[in-house]
Amino acid sequence: MLIEIRNLSFAYGHKTVINGLSHTINPGDYLVIKGKNGSGKTTLIKCLLGINPVKNGMIFFDGKDINSFNNWPKFGYVSQNLDDFNYEFPLTVEELLKFSTVTKASKKNYLKLLDQMGILDIINQNINSLSGGQLQRVFIIRAMLNNPEVLILDEPTASIDKQNTEFFYQTINELNKQGITVILITHTEFISHINYTHLLTMSLDLTFNIVTNDKEDN
Amino acid sequence: MLTLSFLQDLFQQDFMLRALLTGIILGALAPLIGSIVVVRRLSFIADTLGHFSLVGISVSLYISTFGISFFLEKPLYLGLVFSIIGGILIESFRRSYKNYKEISMVIVISLGSAMSAIFFSLAKKTGSLYQYLFGSILTVTNYYLILIFITAIIISILFILFGKQILAVSFDETTARFLGVNVSLFQFIFMVVLSMVVSVLLESVGVLLISSMMIIPVAAAMRFGWSFKSTLIISIVFSELSILLGLWMAYSFIIPSGAAIVSINILILLIVSIVRKIYIHKNLSKLDTLK
Repeated sequence: MLIEIRNLSFAYGHKTVINGLSHTINPGDYLVIKGKNGSGKTTLIKCLLGINPVKNGMIFFDGKDINSFNNWPKFGYVSQNLDDFNYEFPLTVEELLKFSTVTKASKKNYLKLLDQMGILDIINQNINSLSGGQLQRVFIIRAMLNNPEVLILDEPTASIDKQNTEFFYQTINELNKQGITVILITHTEFISHINYTHLLTMSLDLTFNIVTNDKEDN
Repeated sequence: MLTLSFLQDLFQQDFMLRALLTGIILGALAPLIGSIVVVRRLSFIADTLGHFSLVGISVSLYISTFGISFFLEKPLYLGLVFSIIGGILIESFRRSYKNYKEISMVIVISLGSAMSAIFFSLAKKTGSLYQYLFGSILTVTNYYLILIFITAIIISILFILFGKQILAVSFDETTARFLGVNVSLFQFIFMVVLSMVVSVLLESVGVLLISSMMIIPVAAAMRFGWSFKSTLIISIVFSELSILLGLWMAYSFIIPSGAAIVSINILILLIVSIVRKIYIHKNLSKLDTLK
Protein backbone atom coordinates (compact mmCIF):
# COMPACT_ATOMS: atom_id res chain seq x y z
CA MET A 1 0.00 0.00 0.00
CA LEU A 2 1.25 3.44 -0.89
CA ILE A 3 0.95 5.89 1.98
CA GLU A 4 1.26 9.58 1.23
CA ILE A 5 1.56 12.18 3.94
CA ARG A 6 1.06 15.66 2.48
CA ASN A 7 1.80 18.68 4.61
CA LEU A 8 0.32 17.03 7.70
CA SER A 9 -0.34 19.28 10.66
CA PHE A 10 -1.96 18.33 13.94
CA ALA A 11 -2.63 20.12 17.20
CA TYR A 12 -4.09 19.16 20.56
CA GLY A 13 -6.15 22.24 21.29
CA HIS A 14 -3.74 25.16 20.89
CA LYS A 15 -0.61 23.03 21.09
CA THR A 16 0.73 22.13 17.64
CA VAL A 17 2.48 18.78 17.67
CA ILE A 18 3.05 18.15 13.97
CA ASN A 19 3.61 20.94 11.47
CA GLY A 20 3.83 20.48 7.72
CA LEU A 21 5.16 16.90 7.61
CA SER A 22 5.34 15.37 4.14
CA HIS A 23 6.62 11.95 3.21
CA THR A 24 5.73 9.05 0.95
CA ILE A 25 5.91 5.51 2.32
CA ASN A 26 6.17 3.02 -0.52
CA PRO A 27 5.01 -0.60 -0.31
CA GLY A 28 7.69 -2.62 1.45
CA ASP A 29 9.35 0.36 3.12
CA TYR A 30 10.62 0.15 6.68
CA LEU A 31 10.19 3.53 8.30
CA VAL A 32 11.65 4.06 11.75
CA ILE A 33 10.46 7.08 13.68
CA LYS A 34 12.50 8.43 16.55
CA GLY A 35 12.53 11.51 18.71
CA LYS A 36 12.20 12.75 22.26
CA ASN A 37 9.03 12.44 24.32
CA GLY A 38 6.51 15.00 23.11
CA SER A 39 7.98 15.30 19.61
CA GLY A 40 4.83 13.93 18.01
CA LYS A 41 5.80 10.33 17.19
CA THR A 42 2.71 8.65 18.63
CA THR A 43 0.55 11.50 17.37
CA LEU A 44 1.79 10.84 13.84
CA ILE A 45 1.01 7.14 14.19
CA LYS A 46 -2.47 7.89 15.48
CA CYS A 47 -3.07 10.25 12.56
CA LEU A 48 -2.04 7.48 10.14
CA LEU A 49 -4.36 5.03 11.87
CA GLY A 50 -7.34 7.36 11.80
CA ILE A 51 -7.42 7.52 15.60
CA ASN A 52 -6.63 11.26 15.52
CA PRO A 53 -8.95 13.07 13.11
CA VAL A 54 -7.11 14.79 10.24
CA LYS A 55 -8.38 17.17 7.59
CA ASN A 56 -8.98 16.06 4.01
CA GLY A 57 -5.97 16.13 1.74
CA MET A 58 -3.31 15.27 4.33
CA ILE A 59 -3.09 11.48 4.27
CA PHE A 60 -3.76 9.15 1.35
CA PHE A 61 -3.76 5.35 1.10
CA ASP A 62 -3.30 4.14 -2.49
CA GLY A 63 -4.58 7.53 -3.61
CA LYS A 64 -7.67 7.46 -1.36
CA ASP A 65 -8.10 10.14 1.29
CA ILE A 66 -7.98 8.74 4.82
CA ASN A 67 -11.42 10.17 5.57
CA SER A 68 -12.92 8.00 2.79
CA PHE A 69 -10.84 4.95 3.64
CA ASN A 70 -12.44 2.02 5.48
CA ASN A 71 -10.28 -1.03 4.72
CA TRP A 72 -8.59 -0.93 8.12
CA PRO A 73 -7.77 -4.69 8.33
CA LYS A 74 -4.96 -3.84 5.88
CA PHE A 75 -3.24 -2.39 8.93
CA GLY A 76 -1.83 -4.24 11.90
CA TYR A 77 -1.17 -2.18 15.03
CA VAL A 78 0.65 -2.84 18.28
CA SER A 79 0.24 0.07 20.67
CA GLN A 80 2.74 1.40 23.17
CA ASN A 81 2.93 -0.76 26.32
CA LEU A 82 -0.25 -2.47 25.12
CA ASP A 83 -2.06 0.04 27.30
CA ASP A 84 -5.26 0.02 25.27
CA PHE A 85 -5.88 -3.64 26.07
CA ASN A 86 -7.61 -4.77 29.25
CA TYR A 87 -5.39 -7.75 30.06
CA GLU A 88 -6.25 -7.87 33.75
CA PHE A 89 -9.35 -10.00 33.07
CA PRO A 90 -8.55 -13.76 32.96
CA LEU A 91 -7.83 -14.63 29.34
CA THR A 92 -5.65 -17.28 27.74
CA VAL A 93 -3.44 -16.69 24.71
CA GLU A 94 -5.69 -18.90 22.59
CA GLU A 95 -8.82 -17.04 23.67
CA LEU A 96 -7.20 -13.67 22.96
CA LEU A 97 -6.30 -14.75 19.45
CA LYS A 98 -9.58 -16.59 18.80
CA PHE A 99 -11.61 -13.53 19.86
CA SER A 100 -9.51 -11.52 17.41
CA THR A 101 -10.18 -13.84 14.43
CA VAL A 102 -13.15 -11.99 13.10
CA THR A 103 -12.45 -12.21 9.37
CA LYS A 104 -12.12 -15.40 7.28
CA ALA A 105 -8.43 -14.69 6.60
CA SER A 106 -7.60 -14.41 10.28
CA LYS A 107 -9.28 -17.69 11.29
CA LYS A 108 -6.67 -19.79 9.47
CA ASN A 109 -3.69 -17.87 10.71
CA TYR A 110 -3.33 -17.85 14.45
CA LEU A 111 -1.94 -21.36 15.04
CA LYS A 112 0.53 -20.99 12.18
CA LEU A 113 1.72 -17.63 13.50
CA LEU A 114 2.10 -18.95 17.06
CA ASP A 115 4.30 -21.73 15.68
CA GLN A 116 6.37 -19.32 13.58
CA MET A 117 6.95 -17.13 16.63
CA GLY A 118 7.97 -20.15 18.68
CA ILE A 119 5.29 -19.73 21.34
CA LEU A 120 2.83 -22.50 20.50
CA ASP A 121 3.56 -24.02 23.93
CA ILE A 122 2.04 -21.04 25.81
CA ILE A 123 -1.28 -21.22 24.00
CA ASN A 124 -3.21 -22.18 27.15
CA GLN A 125 -1.44 -19.79 29.50
CA ASN A 126 -3.16 -16.82 31.06
CA ILE A 127 -1.83 -13.66 29.39
CA ASN A 128 -1.24 -12.17 32.83
CA SER A 129 1.41 -14.80 33.50
CA LEU A 130 3.41 -14.09 30.34
CA SER A 131 6.73 -12.29 30.30
CA GLY A 132 7.03 -8.95 28.51
CA GLY A 133 8.67 -10.63 25.52
CA GLN A 134 6.03 -13.35 25.24
CA LEU A 135 3.21 -10.82 25.52
CA GLN A 136 4.81 -8.72 22.83
CA ARG A 137 4.96 -11.70 20.46
CA VAL A 138 1.32 -12.54 21.15
CA PHE A 139 0.26 -9.00 20.26
CA ILE A 140 2.36 -9.02 17.11
CA ILE A 141 0.58 -12.22 16.11
CA ARG A 142 -2.72 -10.53 16.84
CA ALA A 143 -1.72 -7.61 14.60
CA MET A 144 -0.72 -10.06 11.84
CA LEU A 145 -3.92 -12.12 11.85
CA ASN A 146 -5.47 -10.41 8.83
CA ASN A 147 -2.26 -10.57 6.74
CA PRO A 148 -1.91 -6.80 6.87
CA GLU A 149 0.00 -4.85 4.24
CA VAL A 150 1.20 -2.34 6.83
CA LEU A 151 2.40 -3.12 10.35
CA ILE A 152 2.63 -0.22 12.77
CA LEU A 153 4.37 -0.61 16.13
CA ASP A 154 4.64 2.06 18.81
CA GLU A 155 7.71 1.59 21.04
CA PRO A 156 7.11 -2.15 21.16
CA THR A 157 10.28 -2.97 23.12
CA ALA A 158 9.77 -0.43 25.88
CA SER A 159 9.17 -3.05 28.56
CA ILE A 160 11.13 -6.09 27.39
CA ASP A 161 14.68 -7.31 28.02
CA LYS A 162 17.64 -7.10 25.66
CA GLN A 163 17.49 -10.70 24.43
CA ASN A 164 13.81 -10.46 23.56
CA THR A 165 14.37 -7.06 22.00
CA GLU A 166 16.94 -8.53 19.61
CA PHE A 167 14.57 -11.38 18.75
CA PHE A 168 11.80 -8.86 18.21
CA TYR A 169 13.79 -6.80 15.71
CA GLN A 170 14.89 -9.92 13.85
CA THR A 171 11.22 -10.92 13.53
CA ILE A 172 10.19 -7.52 12.22
CA ASN A 173 13.10 -7.51 9.75
CA GLU A 174 11.84 -10.87 8.44
CA LEU A 175 8.28 -9.60 8.11
CA ASN A 176 9.54 -6.60 6.18
CA LYS A 177 11.53 -8.92 3.87
CA GLN A 178 8.24 -10.69 3.13
CA GLY A 179 6.94 -7.41 1.72
CA ILE A 180 5.08 -5.96 4.68
CA THR A 181 5.47 -2.20 5.09
CA VAL A 182 6.67 -1.49 8.62
CA ILE A 183 6.35 1.76 10.55
CA LEU A 184 8.05 1.57 13.91
CA ILE A 185 8.56 4.07 16.70
CA THR A 186 11.58 3.51 18.82
CA HIS A 187 13.52 5.31 21.51
CA THR A 188 16.31 2.82 21.68
CA GLU A 189 19.86 2.41 20.51
CA PHE A 190 18.84 -0.75 18.66
CA ILE A 191 18.49 1.12 15.40
CA SER A 192 21.66 -0.58 14.18
CA HIS A 193 19.75 -3.91 14.38
CA ILE A 194 17.00 -2.61 12.15
CA ASN A 195 17.10 -2.92 8.36
CA TYR A 196 15.23 0.31 7.86
CA THR A 197 14.79 2.07 4.55
CA HIS A 198 13.96 5.47 6.06
CA LEU A 199 14.64 7.09 9.41
CA LEU A 200 12.39 9.96 10.44
CA THR A 201 13.65 12.04 13.34
CA MET A 202 11.06 14.31 14.93
CA SER A 203 12.08 17.21 17.16
CA LEU A 204 10.36 19.18 19.86
CA ASP A 205 10.64 22.37 17.76
CA LEU A 206 8.31 20.75 15.16
CA THR A 207 11.11 20.17 12.65
CA PHE A 208 11.78 16.77 11.19
CA ASN A 209 14.55 15.07 9.30
CA ILE A 210 14.27 12.04 7.02
CA VAL A 211 17.31 9.92 6.23
CA THR A 212 17.27 7.11 3.71
CA ASN A 213 19.90 4.39 3.37
CA ASP A 214 22.64 6.65 2.10
CA LYS A 215 21.17 10.05 1.35
CA GLU A 216 19.44 12.80 3.35
CA ASP A 217 15.96 14.29 2.64
CA ASN A 218 14.31 17.18 4.54
CA MET B 1 -38.29 -27.65 58.39
CA LEU B 2 -38.22 -24.25 56.70
CA THR B 3 -35.96 -25.72 54.04
CA LEU B 4 -38.28 -28.65 53.47
CA SER B 5 -41.37 -26.48 53.08
CA PHE B 6 -39.36 -24.15 50.83
CA LEU B 7 -38.41 -27.02 48.55
CA GLN B 8 -41.97 -28.29 48.51
CA ASP B 9 -43.39 -24.87 47.71
CA LEU B 10 -40.69 -24.26 45.12
CA PHE B 11 -42.14 -26.91 42.83
CA GLN B 12 -45.74 -26.88 43.97
CA GLN B 13 -46.60 -23.21 44.21
CA ASP B 14 -46.96 -21.41 40.86
CA PHE B 15 -45.43 -18.15 42.06
CA MET B 16 -42.40 -19.97 43.50
CA LEU B 17 -41.87 -21.99 40.33
CA ARG B 18 -42.10 -18.81 38.24
CA ALA B 19 -39.59 -17.15 40.57
CA LEU B 20 -37.24 -20.13 40.26
CA LEU B 21 -37.44 -20.24 36.45
CA THR B 22 -36.99 -16.47 36.26
CA GLY B 23 -34.03 -16.71 38.59
CA ILE B 24 -32.40 -19.50 36.59
CA ILE B 25 -32.62 -17.51 33.35
CA LEU B 26 -31.48 -14.24 34.91
CA GLY B 27 -28.80 -16.08 36.86
CA ALA B 28 -27.15 -16.97 33.57
CA LEU B 29 -27.93 -13.78 31.66
CA ALA B 30 -26.72 -11.28 34.27
CA PRO B 31 -23.12 -12.54 34.63
CA LEU B 32 -22.85 -13.15 30.87
CA ILE B 33 -23.46 -9.47 30.22
CA GLY B 34 -21.70 -8.55 33.45
CA SER B 35 -18.44 -10.13 32.26
CA ILE B 36 -18.45 -7.87 29.20
CA VAL B 37 -19.25 -4.84 31.35
CA VAL B 38 -16.31 -5.67 33.65
CA VAL B 39 -13.96 -6.14 30.66
CA ARG B 40 -15.04 -2.74 29.37
CA ARG B 41 -14.38 -1.23 32.81
CA LEU B 42 -17.91 0.15 32.95
CA SER B 43 -19.10 -1.53 36.13
CA PHE B 44 -21.48 1.32 37.00
CA ILE B 45 -23.19 1.39 33.64
CA ALA B 46 -25.93 -1.05 34.64
CA ASP B 47 -26.83 1.17 37.59
CA THR B 48 -26.90 4.17 35.29
CA LEU B 49 -29.08 2.49 32.69
CA GLY B 50 -31.36 1.19 35.43
CA HIS B 51 -31.91 4.71 36.75
CA PHE B 52 -32.63 5.94 33.25
CA SER B 53 -34.94 3.02 32.60
CA LEU B 54 -36.87 4.21 35.65
CA VAL B 55 -37.62 7.41 33.73
CA GLY B 56 -39.37 5.36 31.05
CA ILE B 57 -41.36 3.46 33.66
CA SER B 58 -42.42 6.63 35.47
CA VAL B 59 -43.36 8.36 32.17
CA SER B 60 -45.42 5.30 31.21
CA LEU B 61 -47.23 5.37 34.54
CA TYR B 62 -47.84 9.10 34.17
CA ILE B 63 -49.25 8.72 30.65
CA SER B 64 -51.53 5.93 31.84
CA THR B 65 -53.17 8.37 34.29
CA PHE B 66 -54.69 10.04 31.23
CA GLY B 67 -56.32 6.76 30.27
CA ILE B 68 -53.88 6.27 27.40
CA SER B 69 -52.85 2.66 26.88
CA PHE B 70 -49.14 2.75 26.16
CA PHE B 71 -47.20 -0.30 24.99
CA LEU B 72 -49.83 -2.73 26.19
CA GLU B 73 -49.89 -0.98 29.58
CA LYS B 74 -46.52 -2.46 30.49
CA PRO B 75 -44.14 0.22 31.80
CA LEU B 76 -41.28 -2.18 31.07
CA TYR B 77 -41.34 -1.39 27.33
CA LEU B 78 -40.91 2.35 27.73
CA GLY B 79 -38.32 1.50 30.36
CA LEU B 80 -36.38 -0.38 27.68
CA VAL B 81 -36.61 2.55 25.25
CA PHE B 82 -35.30 4.96 27.86
CA SER B 83 -32.56 2.54 28.85
CA ILE B 84 -31.32 2.59 25.24
CA ILE B 85 -31.57 6.40 25.21
CA GLY B 86 -29.53 6.44 28.42
CA GLY B 87 -26.89 4.28 26.74
CA ILE B 88 -26.67 6.65 23.78
CA LEU B 89 -26.33 9.62 26.15
CA ILE B 90 -23.52 7.86 28.05
CA GLU B 91 -21.60 7.25 24.80
CA SER B 92 -22.08 10.90 23.74
CA PHE B 93 -20.81 12.27 27.05
CA ARG B 94 -17.91 9.78 27.08
CA ARG B 95 -16.68 11.31 23.83
CA SER B 96 -16.79 14.78 25.36
CA TYR B 97 -14.98 13.77 28.55
CA LYS B 98 -12.34 11.47 27.08
CA ASN B 99 -10.08 11.56 30.13
CA TYR B 100 -12.95 11.44 32.64
CA LYS B 101 -15.26 8.86 31.23
CA GLU B 102 -16.95 8.16 34.56
CA ILE B 103 -18.42 11.69 34.51
CA SER B 104 -20.81 10.59 31.75
CA MET B 105 -22.43 8.06 34.09
CA VAL B 106 -22.85 10.58 36.89
CA ILE B 107 -24.59 12.98 34.50
CA VAL B 108 -26.97 10.35 33.16
CA ILE B 109 -27.73 8.81 36.57
CA SER B 110 -28.49 12.28 37.98
CA LEU B 111 -30.77 13.10 35.06
CA GLY B 112 -32.51 9.74 35.38
CA SER B 113 -33.03 10.05 39.14
CA ALA B 114 -34.41 13.57 38.89
CA MET B 115 -36.75 12.90 35.97
CA SER B 116 -38.10 9.64 37.40
CA ALA B 117 -38.79 11.30 40.77
CA ILE B 118 -40.72 14.04 38.96
CA PHE B 119 -42.83 11.67 36.86
CA PHE B 120 -43.52 9.23 39.68
CA SER B 121 -44.77 12.20 41.68
CA LEU B 122 -46.89 13.54 38.79
CA ALA B 123 -48.36 10.07 38.29
CA LYS B 124 -49.07 9.90 42.04
CA LYS B 125 -47.37 6.47 42.08
CA THR B 126 -44.60 7.15 44.58
CA GLY B 127 -45.78 4.09 46.50
CA SER B 128 -44.76 1.78 43.68
CA LEU B 129 -41.28 3.27 43.64
CA TYR B 130 -40.13 0.81 46.32
CA GLN B 131 -40.97 -2.11 44.06
CA TYR B 132 -38.88 -0.66 41.24
CA LEU B 133 -35.99 0.22 43.53
CA PHE B 134 -35.68 -3.23 45.11
CA GLY B 135 -37.67 -5.52 42.79
CA SER B 136 -39.55 -8.68 43.66
CA ILE B 137 -38.76 -11.93 41.93
CA LEU B 138 -41.51 -13.62 43.93
CA THR B 139 -44.24 -11.59 42.23
CA VAL B 140 -43.28 -12.14 38.57
CA THR B 141 -46.13 -13.01 36.23
CA ASN B 142 -46.30 -15.58 33.42
CA TYR B 143 -46.13 -12.69 30.96
CA TYR B 144 -42.88 -11.47 32.49
CA LEU B 145 -41.41 -14.98 32.55
CA ILE B 146 -42.13 -15.45 28.83
CA LEU B 147 -40.62 -12.02 28.14
CA ILE B 148 -37.43 -12.96 30.00
CA PHE B 149 -37.25 -16.24 28.12
CA ILE B 150 -37.60 -14.47 24.76
CA THR B 151 -34.99 -11.88 25.80
CA ALA B 152 -32.60 -14.68 26.76
CA ILE B 153 -33.08 -16.38 23.38
CA ILE B 154 -32.49 -13.12 21.48
CA ILE B 155 -29.36 -12.33 23.48
CA SER B 156 -28.03 -15.88 23.07
CA ILE B 157 -28.48 -15.67 19.31
CA LEU B 158 -26.75 -12.28 19.21
CA PHE B 159 -23.81 -13.66 21.20
CA ILE B 160 -23.53 -16.75 19.03
CA LEU B 161 -23.48 -14.58 15.90
CA PHE B 162 -21.50 -11.59 17.15
CA GLY B 163 -19.79 -12.66 20.37
CA LYS B 164 -16.27 -12.34 18.91
CA GLN B 165 -16.88 -8.84 17.62
CA ILE B 166 -18.39 -7.72 20.93
CA LEU B 167 -15.42 -9.18 22.83
CA ALA B 168 -12.88 -7.68 20.40
CA VAL B 169 -14.39 -4.23 20.93
CA SER B 170 -14.69 -4.75 24.68
CA PHE B 171 -11.10 -5.84 25.28
CA ASP B 172 -9.52 -3.23 23.03
CA GLU B 173 -11.72 -0.65 21.36
CA THR B 174 -8.80 1.12 19.65
CA THR B 175 -7.43 -1.83 17.71
CA ALA B 176 -10.71 -3.69 17.12
CA ARG B 177 -11.10 -1.77 13.88
CA PHE B 178 -7.88 -3.26 12.49
CA LEU B 179 -9.27 -6.73 13.16
CA GLY B 180 -12.18 -6.03 10.80
CA VAL B 181 -14.79 -5.06 13.41
CA ASN B 182 -17.29 -2.27 12.82
CA VAL B 183 -16.68 -0.70 16.22
CA SER B 184 -19.61 1.75 16.28
CA LEU B 185 -22.09 -0.94 15.21
CA PHE B 186 -21.00 -3.44 17.84
CA GLN B 187 -20.85 -0.85 20.57
CA PHE B 188 -24.44 -0.02 19.69
CA ILE B 189 -25.45 -3.71 19.62
CA PHE B 190 -23.87 -4.22 23.02
CA MET B 191 -25.63 -1.15 24.42
CA VAL B 192 -28.99 -2.47 23.17
CA VAL B 193 -28.30 -5.91 24.66
CA LEU B 194 -27.27 -4.35 27.97
CA SER B 195 -30.40 -2.17 28.00
CA MET B 196 -32.58 -5.24 27.39
CA VAL B 197 -30.98 -7.11 30.29
CA VAL B 198 -31.22 -4.10 32.61
CA SER B 199 -34.90 -3.63 31.75
CA VAL B 200 -35.83 -7.25 32.45
CA LEU B 201 -33.69 -7.33 35.63
CA LEU B 202 -35.34 -4.19 36.94
CA GLU B 203 -38.70 -5.79 37.73
CA SER B 204 -37.23 -8.75 39.61
CA VAL B 205 -34.14 -7.28 41.28
CA GLY B 206 -34.75 -3.53 41.26
CA VAL B 207 -32.74 -0.54 40.12
CA LEU B 208 -30.50 -0.37 43.17
CA LEU B 209 -29.35 -3.96 42.88
CA ILE B 210 -29.00 -4.48 39.13
CA SER B 211 -25.26 -3.83 39.08
CA SER B 212 -24.73 -6.23 41.96
CA MET B 213 -26.44 -9.08 40.11
CA MET B 214 -24.32 -8.48 37.04
CA ILE B 215 -20.94 -7.61 38.51
CA ILE B 216 -20.42 -9.35 41.85
CA PRO B 217 -20.57 -12.97 40.59
CA VAL B 218 -18.02 -11.99 37.91
CA ALA B 219 -15.80 -10.28 40.50
CA ALA B 220 -15.88 -13.46 42.61
CA ALA B 221 -15.21 -15.72 39.60
CA MET B 222 -12.19 -13.61 38.58
CA ARG B 223 -10.50 -14.79 41.82
CA PHE B 224 -10.44 -18.36 40.53
CA GLY B 225 -10.87 -18.19 36.78
CA TRP B 226 -7.83 -18.97 34.63
CA SER B 227 -9.48 -18.15 31.30
CA PHE B 228 -12.41 -16.10 30.03
CA LYS B 229 -14.51 -19.26 29.59
CA SER B 230 -13.78 -20.62 33.07
CA THR B 231 -14.44 -17.22 34.65
CA LEU B 232 -17.78 -16.98 32.87
CA ILE B 233 -18.85 -20.51 33.88
CA ILE B 234 -17.81 -19.98 37.51
CA SER B 235 -19.66 -16.64 37.62
CA ILE B 236 -22.85 -18.32 36.36
CA VAL B 237 -22.50 -21.04 39.00
CA PHE B 238 -22.07 -18.40 41.73
CA SER B 239 -25.00 -16.43 40.35
CA GLU B 240 -27.35 -19.45 40.24
CA LEU B 241 -26.30 -20.41 43.77
CA SER B 242 -27.08 -16.94 45.03
CA ILE B 243 -30.48 -17.02 43.28
CA LEU B 244 -31.42 -20.32 44.96
CA LEU B 245 -30.16 -19.36 48.40
CA GLY B 246 -31.57 -15.83 48.03
CA LEU B 247 -35.01 -17.22 47.22
CA TRP B 248 -34.81 -19.45 50.28
CA MET B 249 -33.87 -16.47 52.48
CA ALA B 250 -36.66 -14.30 51.03
CA TYR B 251 -39.19 -17.11 51.52
CA SER B 252 -38.03 -18.02 55.01
CA PHE B 253 -37.50 -14.57 56.51
CA ILE B 254 -39.99 -12.54 54.45
CA ILE B 255 -37.40 -10.09 53.17
CA PRO B 256 -37.00 -8.51 49.70
CA SER B 257 -35.79 -11.21 47.32
CA GLY B 258 -33.45 -8.91 45.37
CA ALA B 259 -31.66 -7.85 48.54
CA ALA B 260 -31.43 -11.46 49.71
CA ILE B 261 -29.90 -12.60 46.41
CA VAL B 262 -27.35 -9.78 46.39
CA SER B 263 -26.42 -10.47 50.04
CA ILE B 264 -25.60 -14.06 49.09
CA ASN B 265 -23.57 -12.72 46.13
CA ILE B 266 -21.48 -10.62 48.53
CA LEU B 267 -21.09 -13.55 50.92
CA ILE B 268 -19.80 -15.74 48.09
CA LEU B 269 -17.34 -13.01 47.10
CA LEU B 270 -16.09 -12.74 50.69
CA ILE B 271 -15.68 -16.51 51.05
CA VAL B 272 -13.87 -16.75 47.73
CA SER B 273 -11.54 -13.88 48.64
CA ILE B 274 -10.68 -15.46 52.00
CA VAL B 275 -10.09 -18.89 50.48
CA ARG B 276 -7.83 -17.37 47.84
CA LYS B 277 -5.81 -15.45 50.45
CA ILE B 278 -5.34 -18.63 52.50
CA TYR B 279 -4.28 -20.51 49.35
CA ILE B 280 -1.74 -17.86 48.37
CA HIS B 281 -0.42 -17.65 51.93
CA LYS B 282 0.08 -21.44 52.05
CA ASN B 283 1.93 -21.40 48.73
CA LEU B 284 4.21 -18.60 49.89
CA SER B 285 4.94 -20.52 53.11
CA LYS B 286 5.86 -23.59 51.05
CA LEU B 287 8.28 -21.49 48.96
CA ASP B 288 9.89 -20.10 52.13
CA THR B 289 10.29 -23.64 53.48
CA LEU B 290 12.01 -24.76 50.27
CA LYS B 291 14.48 -21.85 50.56
